[in-house]
Amino acid sequence: MTTATETNAMPTKTDAEAEVRKPGAFQFYAEELSDLLRVTIRTFYYIVRGKREKGDVIRQCFEIGNKSMFFMAVTMAFIGAIVLFQMCMQAKRIIPDLTMIGGMYAKLLIRELAPSVGAMPFATRVGAGIAAEIGSMVVTEQTDALRMSGADPVDYLVVPRFVASVIMGTIVLVLGAGIAYGAGFVVGVTTFDINPNTFINFTSVKGGDVALGLIKCVCYGGIIALVSSQRGLRTFGGSEGVGIATTQAVVGSLFAVIVANFILSSVGHFVFPP
Amino acid sequence: MRCRERVGPVIRVEDVHLRFKAPVLKGVSLHIPEGCIYVLIGPGAAGKSVLLKCIAGLLRPQRGRIWVAGEEITALDDLQMMQLRKKIGMLFQNYALFDLSVGENIAFPLRRLFDLPQNEIEERVAERLERVALPGIQNRIPASLSGGQKKRVGVARATIAKAPVVLYDEPTAGLDPVTSQKIYNLIRDEQRAQKSTVVVISSDVAGALTIADRVGMLHRGELIFDGTVDEARTSKHPAVDQFVHGKTEGPL
Repeated sequence: MTTATETNAMPTKTDAEAEVRKPGAFQFYAEELSDLLRVTIRTFYYIVRGKREKGDVIRQCFEIGNKSMFFMAVTMAFIGAIVLFQMCMQAKRIIPDLTMIGGMYAKLLIRELAPSVGAMPFATRVGAGIAAEIGSMVVTEQTDALRMSGADPVDYLVVPRFVASVIMGTIVLVLGAGIAYGAGFVVGVTTFDINPNTFINFTSVKGGDVALGLIKCVCYGGIIALVSSQRGLRTFGGSEGVGIATTQAVVGSLFAVIVANFILSSVGHFVFPP
Repeated sequence: MRCRERVGPVIRVEDVHLRFKAPVLKGVSLHIPEGCIYVLIGPGAAGKSVLLKCIAGLLRPQRGRIWVAGEEITALDDLQMMQLRKKIGMLFQNYALFDLSVGENIAFPLRRLFDLPQNEIEERVAERLERVALPGIQNRIPASLSGGQKKRVGVARATIAKAPVVLYDEPTAGLDPVTSQKIYNLIRDEQRAQKSTVVVISSDVAGALTIADRVGMLHRGELIFDGTVDEARTSKHPAVDQFVHGKTEGPL
């Protein structure tokens, strides 16, 4: 190869400018789901076989858990107060006796409200953060640099966030349940004159309710991390792409949580009857 | 000419096609001999960086085959590709330095790809930093460095594993002419010291040709020229002639 080789003609413009038809909505969602499945499988593979960096899970626990705590506490307090207020208002129309409301509220909170409704603000706070961070690494070629350095981005970026989100998501949502219960207690006692001793009543809460609530917390923490990481890894373009990925991460996480809630609640209805 | 052409190509690209929304690479074939500094030039959006990422295994072409250091990378799965990364170093256009200290950035490929004791890693990081004329900055963070310093740190990271193939994507983009020439000299010195095969992508023709053994020119996804530096300078191909000499009149 000592002599120069030159093509005879200039490349034509027509091919380069030919736009390919955009994939249809079905094809788009099929590709996204298959990519999400691929990321999920690799995440579980690397949880077992991956190479952990010192302190990476702890650091993510702090980012995902500690930094979400105040936002989640305030949000859950308001949600708890509003729900209890509405429950009392509706209950009073049927039976003026509110002595059972504390027990019913606790059951509703543990089984459904705290994990499912609490996962919404958690998804916006954590999902947006994960997608923005990974997305900006994609557009600045840092994920390519990771691959060139022998680190799969799923192993290095997704696994610590997934583990941290499962652990801290559960902790934050359980604490959120406690705060929402506390806020409901204050509303019940101060606004509806419910006896405090009557309100604090967990006799209707069964072990199955607690188990279902905890399963939901664990699942939602994992789902939010996986969906947001997948969106982040699929970021394309520059800062606009990061913005799109962040929005899609939040929307996708919320949608996934709602779908998962439907499935878990349906299964839970038979496995852990209310 | 330091290329060992009789040994055979260390990088072989055969009829590579790749398209995103529009075709980016259209049947590119390229042979890069061992121990060669191959400079790939071309105007913006010609497909240079995409071709480099195909050679690095970061992008998979839809058609065609690529061999790097004796392995057909287009036939490898992701885990096999991870092993081959020991043989490829890469400097990225936007530095792509992680949010870690300079020392941790440079040590990163060693820690992930090789099982080395910590003291040896630290020694090699210090040696690399000496080599790129930035001694003792292990504990600084990339955000506190200038563009030229970031490029040097990137060169140190790309070369720390002493890979037989090193790829540089626009190593002087955004740098002043003096710093640019220093980076080119550094690339050449590193290539000579490690006897590696180097591919440099650059739009800075004048600077890049000072270190090149062979030159290729991509235009609209096609390799329209492949030859020596002298052949590039005397080429009659209108696009090559215009680009190499920086003429404003021509087909580009």
